[in-house]
Amino acid sequence: MEKRYTQTHEWIALNESGSEGTVGITDFAQKEVTDVVFVELPRIGKKVPKGGEAAIIESVKAAFSIYAPMGGEIIAGNQALDSNPALLNQDPLGQGWIFRLKLDNPSEFSSLMDEKAYNAYLSDGGGQPGHG
Amino acid sequence: MTKPVSLPLDSLHKEMGGHITDFHGFLLPVRFSSITEECQAVRTHAGLFDISHMGRFIVKGSGAVDAVNRLMTSNLSAVSPGKALYGILSNESGGAIDDIMAYRFSDDRVDLVVNASNREEDKRWIANHLPKGVSLEDPSPSHVGFALQGPRSGEILSLVESLAVALPRRGALLLPAPGGDILVSRTGYTGEDGWEFFGPEHQVATVYRKILSAGAPFGLKPCGLGARDLLRLEMGYPLYGQELTVATTPFDAGLGFAVSTKKGDFVGRKFLLDAEGNPLHHEDHRLLVGFSVKGRGIPRTDCIVSSASTGKVTGVVTSGGYSPAAGGGFGLAYVDRSFAEEFSLGAPAHVRIHEQSLPIVFRTRPFIQGGLN
Repeated sequence: MEKRYTQTHEWIALNESGSEGTVGITDFAQKEVTDVVFVELPRIGKKVPKGGEAAIIESVKAAFSIYAPMGGEIIAGNQALDSNPALLNQDPLGQGWIFRLKLDNPSEFSSLMDEKAYNAYLSDGGGQPGHG
Repeated sequence: MTKPVSLPLDSLHKEMGGHITDFHGFLLPVRFSSITEECQAVRTHAGLFDISHMGRFIVKGSGAVDAVNRLMTSNLSAVSPGKALYGILSNESGGAIDDIMAYRFSDDRVDLVVNASNREEDKRWIANHLPKGVSLEDPSPSHVGFALQGPRSGEILSLVESLAVALPRRGALLLPAPGGDILVSRTGYTGEDGWEFFGPEHQVATVYRKILSAGAPFGLKPCGLGARDLLRLEMGYPLYGQELTVATTPFDAGLGFAVSTKKGDFVGRKFLLDAEGNPLHHEDHRLLVGFSVKGRGIPRTDCIVSSASTGKVTGVVTSGGYSPAAGGGFGLAYVDRSFAEEFSLGAPAHVRIHEQSLPIVFRTRPFIQGGLN
């Protein structure tokens, strides 16, 4: 499933119908965050605007806010992270997903960076301190 | 903002995969592998830290020990030659300009190691207070410093620099080298056994590389500032700028052991001690306390502490972190003097973390068992 990316280093992938999105952080973000201690998952039913804070990752280093790449309503949090937060470091693009959204406006997807654009953003200094 | 300074080991750290950060204007690795693994390596095997950002001064001349002693809260004249002493550089009103290590080599030679963030300020302050005939040299701009820490440090060092292995705890010696002496001491900032080296760039960098390869079979890991901060916090050691500032005294920070009541006059004494040498209490000063969080939460610098019974704000977190060995989320906070005692006797309190109030309990320092305790 195609992923799209934000400047704050989240990814989102849509389900087949395009009505729901799964959100996580990129491998770059995972490396910046370092050892995850736990994840504050959003409450089911919470509505978040595009770019709104949806979850918090607590690592050994610091706390990091995770923003919703698209607006919507939280329909699931990855409970596996409660017992094994290290999943976020080990498999950020897969089993380390963080939450699922029922999307307000699926067309927002096309406004996000694709993989090529995100990689260009990273090599252009998008990963320097001050982002994310 | 001035451009951050690259230190001599910078390119080596990048080759080693270090993640580099700007720490008070110096580019340093925050971690190489994982902060957790690096902490673990130091507690069980060994870790190697670049501390080239720290300042080293050489104070020389007739009466150097007395001159430095007048500027420190602890008593350098009671320390024998070849020993290191921790102390606070205090201003006239008892505030901490810095916390430092002083290494006494003779009556006329003392080396100092100071915090990176205070290097220039300390240099001015000390130089302005030295009597005629005593001078201060600052070899730090072209030096390398490292700390080898952990229970297997001695075995590793014996393969590289066997002269230094025989040093007793807090012992120090000078190794002559081209370009200046290398200061070697059996000291550290982790609570584990270990050695610290400061000296001419080329020579000390060579020792650093040798330790890195000799240490690998012993489980030694290169470590960054992330592990250094967590290890010192587990021990309850202060970090200047967080637990110590010009607005805090050594007593506020729980460092009464570093204030000598027996030595003669020193800068700041009038504010810190009464005529009989008893500590003076300043009611408007907050006290540093250790705490741990009950439940899931990691306190961080600037989190607010409040009394659970009155709801009133009673303090602020200076450093916090997460460590399984310390029992989860834990930290240090300055709290109102009146609340500090109640809290230490079990009065309930809360810390505010991401819009949530989590209960905290008082903890004595260090937060962990083991090490050199």
